[in-house]
Amino acid sequence: MACAEFEERLLEYAELANGERARVDAHAALCASCREFLEALRTVDSQLTAQLASLEVTPAFAPAVRRRVRRESAVARPSLVPELLDFVGWGAIVALLVLLAWWLAPLSPVSNIKISFNAMYAAAGAFLLAAFLFGIRSFADLKH
Amino acid sequence: MEQEIRACLDQKRYQEAFDRLLPEFQNKVFRLAYAMLGDAALAEDMAQEVFIRIWKALPGFRGQSALSTWIYAITRNTCLTALKKGATKRESSLEEPNVARAAEEAGVPPARHGEIDVLRFLHQLPERHRQVLRLYYMEERSYEEVARLLEWPMGTVKTYLHRARKELAEAVARSKMEKGTA
Repeated sequence: MACAEFEERLLEYAELANGERARVDAHAALCASCREFLEALRTVDSQLTAQLASLEVTPAFAPAVRRRVRRESAVARPSLVPELLDFVGWGAIVALLVLLAWWLAPLSPVSNIKISFNAMYAAAGAFLLAAFLFGIRSFADLKH
Repeated sequence: MEQEIRACLDQKRYQEAFDRLLPEFQNKVFRLAYAMLGDAALAEDMAQEVFIRIWKALPGFRGQSALSTWIYAITRNTCLTALKKGATKRESSLEEPNVARAAEEAGVPPARHGEIDVLRFLHQLPERHRQVLRLYYMEERSYEEVARLLEWPMGTVKTYLHRARKELAEAVARSKMEKGTA
């Protein structure tokens, strides 16, 4: 197609300095293939600029994004219910452990009353610890 | 504008920051997505996805890079993931009707009768050449802007562009010659 010597300069025709452009023009005036190449490049540039430079989002774009963002925000809002269920479940397990300790206490070789009191203290401590841990977890989840 | 958006983010006013950045970046994001995917309708869907990701990630934006750099990185990654998943699989020749339709909606006259339609030849180019070429014409023929959006070295952008424009010009010249001899 275009002369190898001029091809690069024809591709950069719009950015050429005046002197360089005059040299390219003088060559293209004599060389039919370079002239055709330059003309074809102009067709490419003008058509693609006309068809691509004006591409923009449709007017429905921004409202659609805002709707989706509102929906996403609603979904992202954390719920207390799972944490409460978690808390109730673990509370029940702790209560069962307390009952089990209470039931096992008479089997211990140590005095009944003393063991019962120990078991009660242990169960109450476990319950409070569990409540504290789940409370922290609920708070952390709510923050996010 | 970027300063104002950053100020909102610093004060954790995420909704306001988002309301400001959406009109500012919507066309840039769409064009980058279009350049990468080659389909206007798909690019708009992808741009929506990008803004949802931006919305979710806004509280985590640390401001270590420019906001625009961060947004373009999210756009590129979202498009690349979609391309990898094959969600954008299409016949490459579908590009032209989509662009032509979008251009028509934007009030751009289609190629006149008897004029060679350059978009027809685009699908003959390798994908990377097409990406550079689309962005080049959408971004006022600025090598710098294309390199910034794609995060490619300027030399690569120039090389791809020269090859792509050369191939298109040769195809157009051949087509003119065929029409002349027909």
